Amino acid sequence: MSKPTANWEKVGDKFYRKVQLYTAVFDQDLELENYNVVGAPYSGAVAIYRDEEKVHTYRGAQAAKSSIDIYSCAGNLIRRINWDKGSIKGLGWSEDEKLLVVTEDGTVRCYYDLQGDFVPFSLGHGAEEHGVQSCKFYSSGFVALLGNNHLVSVSRYDEPRPKLLAIPPPDPVVSWAIIPPAYSLSRSVEVILAIGTTLYVVDATDAEDRDFSAGPFRHISVSPRGEFLAFYTDDGKVWVVSGDWSEKLSEYSSGVKTVPKDMQWCGSNAVALAWEDEVHLIGPKSVATKFYYDAWIHLLPDIDGLRILTNDVCEYLQKVPDENVDVFRLGSDSPAAHLLEASNLLDQKSPKADDLIQLIRPSLAEAVDTCVKAAGHEFNIHWQKSLLKAASFGKSVLDLYSSDDFVDMCETLRVLNAVRFYEIGLPLSYNQFKRLTPEKLISRLTNRSEYLLALRISGYLNLPTDKIYVHWAQQKVRVSVADEESICHLIVKKLYGKPGISFEEIARAAYDEGRVRLATELLNYEPRAGKQVPLLLGMKEDLIALDKAIESGDTDLIYHVLLHLRKKLPLASFFRVINSRPVATALVESSALDQDRELLKDLYYQDDRRLDGSNLLLSEALDQKSLAPTLDKLKLASKYLSDAKEYNSHRQHLDDAHRLLKHQETFEKELGPQTSYLGLSVNETIFELIRQSHNKRAQKIISEFKIPEKTAAWLRLRALVSARHWTELGEVSKQKKSPIGWEPFFNEVLAAGNSRTASLFIEKCTSLKPEERVEMWVKCGLLVKAGEEAFKVKDRALLEEVRDRCEGAARVEVERLLGMLGSGRR
Amino acid sequence: MAPTVPFNSAEISEKARRDLLLLLEGIRGKKNLVLEKALAGPLNLLVKFSTLQEYGVDKPFFLENDNVDSSQRSVVFLVRGEKAKTVITVANQIKRIRRDSQIEHEFSIFWVPRRTVVSDQLLEEAGVLGEASVSEWPLFFVPLADDVLSLELDDAVTDLYLRKDPTTIYLAAKALMLQQQKHGLFPRIIGKGDNAKRLADLLIRMRTEVTASEGNCGNSFLGLTPSLAIDSIIIIDREVDFPTALLTQLTYEGLIDEVFNISANQTEVDSSVIGGVAPQPGQTGSASTSMKRKVIIDPKDSLYSTLCDSNFAVVGNLLNKAARRLQSSTERNQLAAKTTAELRDFVAKLPGYQAEQASLKLHTSLAEEIIKFTRSDIFLRSLEIQQNLMSGADPTTQHDAIMELINRNVPLSIVLRLLCLESTTNAGMRPKDLETFKRAVIQAYGPQHLLTLSSLEKIGLLQPRGGSGLGAPAAKPGSVTNYSPLRRNLRIWDDEVNEAEPNDISYVFSGYAPLSVRLIQSIIQKQTLANLIKPLSNPQAAAQANPLAQGSRIFDDATKYIRGATFDETQTGEERAIKARSMLNGSHNDSNKTVVVFFLGGITRAEIAALRFIENRLKEVGGEGRGSRLVICSTGVVKGGSLVGSAIETRYFG
Repeated sequence: MSKPTANWEKVGDKFYRKVQLYTAVFDQDLELENYNVVGAPYSGAVAIYRDEEKVHTYRGAQAAKSSIDIYSCAGNLIRRINWDKGSIKGLGWSEDEKLLVVTEDGTVRCYYDLQGDFVPFSLGHGAEEHGVQSCKFYSSGFVALLGNNHLVSVSRYDEPRPKLLAIPPPDPVVSWAIIPPAYSLSRSVEVILAIGTTLYVVDATDAEDRDFSAGPFRHISVSPRGEFLAFYTDDGKVWVVSGDWSEKLSEYSSGVKTVPKDMQWCGSNAVALAWEDEVHLIGPKSVATKFYYDAWIHLLPDIDGLRILTNDVCEYLQKVPDENVDVFRLGSDSPAAHLLEASNLLDQKSPKADDLIQLIRPSLAEAVDTCVKAAGHEFNIHWQKSLLKAASFGKSVLDLYSSDDFVDMCETLRVLNAVRFYEIGLPLSYNQFKRLTPEKLISRLTNRSEYLLALRISGYLNLPTDKIYVHWAQQKVRVSVADEESICHLIVKKLYGKPGISFEEIARAAYDEGRVRLATELLNYEPRAGKQVPLLLGMKEDLIALDKAIESGDTDLIYHVLLHLRKKLPLASFFRVINSRPVATALVESSALDQDRELLKDLYYQDDRRLDGSNLLLSEALDQKSLAPTLDKLKLASKYLSDAKEYNSHRQHLDDAHRLLKHQETFEKELGPQTSYLGLSVNETIFELIRQSHNKRAQKIISEFKIPEKTAAWLRLRALVSARHWTELGEVSKQKKSPIGWEPFFNEVLAAGNSRTASLFIEKCTSLKPEERVEMWVKCGLLVKAGEEAFKVKDRALLEEVRDRCEGAARVEVERLLGMLGSGRR
Repeated sequence: MAPTVPFNSAEISEKARRDLLLLLEGIRGKKNLVLEKALAGPLNLLVKFSTLQEYGVDKPFFLENDNVDSSQRSVVFLVRGEKAKTVITVANQIKRIRRDSQIEHEFSIFWVPRRTVVSDQLLEEAGVLGEASVSEWPLFFVPLADDVLSLELDDAVTDLYLRKDPTTIYLAAKALMLQQQKHGLFPRIIGKGDNAKRLADLLIRMRTEVTASEGNCGNSFLGLTPSLAIDSIIIIDREVDFPTALLTQLTYEGLIDEVFNISANQTEVDSSVIGGVAPQPGQTGSASTSMKRKVIIDPKDSLYSTLCDSNFAVVGNLLNKAARRLQSSTERNQLAAKTTAELRDFVAKLPGYQAEQASLKLHTSLAEEIIKFTRSDIFLRSLEIQQNLMSGADPTTQHDAIMELINRNVPLSIVLRLLCLESTTNAGMRPKDLETFKRAVIQAYGPQHLLTLSSLEKIGLLQPRGGSGLGAPAAKPGSVTNYSPLRRNLRIWDDEVNEAEPNDISYVFSGYAPLSVRLIQSIIQKQTLANLIKPLSNPQAAAQANPLAQGSRIFDDATKYIRGATFDETQTGEERAIKARSMLNGSHNDSNKTVVVFFLGGITRAEIAALRFIENRLKEVGGEGRGSRLVICSTGVVKGGSLVGSAIETRYFG
């Protein structure tokens, strides 16, 4: 076994390693130098397409056909997408392995699985006329540079909303790069443009000139977390600047005249420059090392390193993780190195093993941790094993040690080794795996149709398996040539009763494939009613869709189906559909009330709902601005009820309203503009008329609208009080009878503040108790009268009470009464 | 790990807060915020305006005013997306700004609580979907107090009972489902009312759907087993008990609501009433332009928390007591006698005293204002009629009094509350009487109220007795509530009410024990209720076993006479999962469980007070509740005025 440090390279005081992942990657005939190569993040798939600007040998018509080929890192062809849609100006991957293809005319296709299905959208913002020049991609979006230097940003693919960024000067762009929103200061995407000798930073709101003069900058590269920026100047220098532009960290002179083909960050520590077959790796403090290849190379940057791809090999260039340096560095005397050594010695049955363990005893736990972590970062299975063995040995010596990390690491490594296998070709590093998360790994496997492995890993890591099954079933219905019956049977047998299975998605796949009957059949197994609705609508099963929507209870879905039906069906059949479904009818009514009165009218007419229809007309009458149409609508409302006996009284009210408005109109005309009558109720009209002393007219209304006697009396009282017609009220007090008694007169008048007039009514309140009358007198301030009232009923206690409230002359008077009463009694 | 407390209001508000701020953070730079008026209250409860400003909100606008200007590039709409009407309003405003403004705007729409298919469809038809970035703010429950969660759906009554639109039920189910997913299933769902039954069915349905849509791993697996911390959920449909909502509330908080109107713990009071109170910190919204002044009714205020649920009759005494205590503890001559340590304590408490002083002043002024209101003739008359009706007097004896109120032109809602009260307590009104009153109302308040009366009839608040048609057969059982047997069976009228030291929930209405709360009692406080209804001759034995308290006898007996469906479902889970959960949460005995009460269609503040009274009784040592905790959830807080108000037609001729 070769040493683990064999592929290490020292750059300054740091070690870098070049891990050979796969060999014999591409066909030797493939002229990789004529291709553009982009790799998905987290060691994902690699897409290549022929660079149209380069000449290539003619190999017959077949080969000349242009295509985008998707390979795994190991060089297995996953899918070939035939391409005849015009010139490709941008090709890139998203974090979740969606392939984005941007053509010159600003059309973007988002290939969301590796199967060749795509969603198109268009960039707009003038992309069509000016043409797309190039694109830069980040984890969840990209920025396109147009011919007129406009920048269009797309920040998500599920609902792409291309946005124009601030507009930079129109001079030619030498090179450019983006800072992903997650790492920029403004939390939205920022673009660095090299124009002329300077740099511009462009975000959504402004384009700022950074005032450089050392340009033109041939390459710009942003480190994976945006903490450093690297620039390649025209005179062959690499500048590294901190991400906030505050300081220049290092400068390296390559000493090469030709401008490198590519410049990329290797993790966040080093910058790699690539010429055709040469790579310079520049570490901190401007120290560098050079690698030479015998074939054309491509750099595929990743979050913690760099993939280097040639026809022959796929290599992974990264800084050696600290733990591995600790363990393997030549002459390392770290506890972990000793532990590994001890474990080897134990294998050789050497007693020295124990000596070593005793030596590192105090820091043994730390050593175990280091070994576990180093194993994770190790690509070679042999060294993984020996490191884990060492860790296991170490922890057996420890008294108290939580093995969780160890167990986790064993599981993780098992998974990693499985997916690194060349047939799968996902050479994830440990850090990448942690960042990617196991769930996403499963979905990558599923997209590659590696169902068995996906299932095994899911089972192993206790992850949900539903998506894998659904994907499998979808593929099945797409490609299977078996008859529909048996496909359905097969799928149901395998998947039914498993939690989380979305039969709707499978059915949709079947429907999209044109297998309608299969789709219907599969849909029946979907437990979520709501889920079935959109597909059912798509399948033109509108009525079933409506029923399912109602079943789900989600009014949004019901509205959705109803809107759909309303557009599709003639009115009569629409009503027939909703008629038998009360919830649907209620919703139609409710929404039509706000938006579509005509529809509502038709509905009520069709259903013979007289009262509702009439009310609707009444409500419309209320909305009218002038009187004439109001009256018309009222008439209509009344007519609507004409041959329905049970609503006679309702109709009567409507007619009354009509008449009242007519009266009010004449009053306004006759009585001048100072009082407005229109819109008052009957009572208010009468009230107002009496207040203005139009008693005759008031009387007319009272008799015409059959106002009850009591109401009329109240109205008169309130109106007179409100107009402060005290004399008239005095007249009233001379009447013999009042339909509402006299107490209200007293109360209302007193409340208006006229105690003198109020007192006129006290004696008429004969139905009240004497005490109450006494109280009334007191309220009017007439204490002597109160005393007399009490005296009349010979209530001594009451009289004494009155006396206590009196002062001055009144007191003397009450005392006198009291005296009389006293003598009378005793 | 301590078991998490289900329905924790702090947790819920924190989550809603975080969700919103995260959404705001996603939009760069300053932005104008356009929000629906109905959302202003909840927003104010959750996030201070200063915080919103920190997150870049420049100016707030109301959607209803349609006046958002183009001062900022980004415009954010925060609106409920269930109604097509609001969606179209939003679309129109976007179009208006786009047309009028010189600069290019960025529009964002945050739908509350969810993005709907229909809203997308409508926006697309209006041609604005492509330009607005759409997201959702999943705001369901808004905590009004530690034990009160409200969905704050202002239209709930109109939607549920007038328009028969089940959106409210769906949203309620969603909100409850989210809690279930977090804390486990309600082991028992019990309740009364047709809509409540629909809600229960939907909950059970959603359970199967959630099981179907989720994987078989992790927390969700445990989430859908019955919770050990929750005892049950009791769902009461407002329709079951309209009278309680129609009555004038007599608790302090209830009266504040009746007099000044509380919305989202905030009330508007004329500044002449509370002139001297310092402005409340953190109040958002417009500065008081008119003479009205916004006051926060803070359930966490210690003074207020002692007052809010008391009958108003004793509030004066409580305020006096608080004033005396405060005075004695801050009096100067006592300071001299204190040691330095005591002094330090005292100084540390000073800010608290000041806050208390301010609160005392506020509530004294409020109470004085309320006293003015309760002394008014109209209030006393209507209260008298209400009490007579509830105690079972012949309703016809009250007709003259009601008619007089109409003749005196008192506000329509007072009259309608009384009429509806009569109708709902007596299974409808005699058709002849109803016709007379209808006529009187229309003549007194205007012909537009033909619509009001129709709406009330549709809601079921004001109906002719024995169904609508002429000579229809007597109402079907279960379609109306029959109060006369209930007065006996549930003792919903209490003649010996004690307001100062309440011994029964009847104190909240000075006599009437709310039917809705009695129903809940019949489930969770059987023993007490049984003893109340039928005191046993032997007082010692009474504490033990009243035969009435066995099983669900009281509940069953009572529900026979109440309209609407009755249901009682249990939700069980896999044996294995239950075991796993109990292992996780440690051994849980029967105590300290949470009972969730859900009022579909709104709850009144008086009912909240009554429920809190029960909760305190349950908590008493050795009480039958074994320390149960009650959480009160509702679609919103209602009162009689708003209940009939949802039917009142506000337009008029002319």
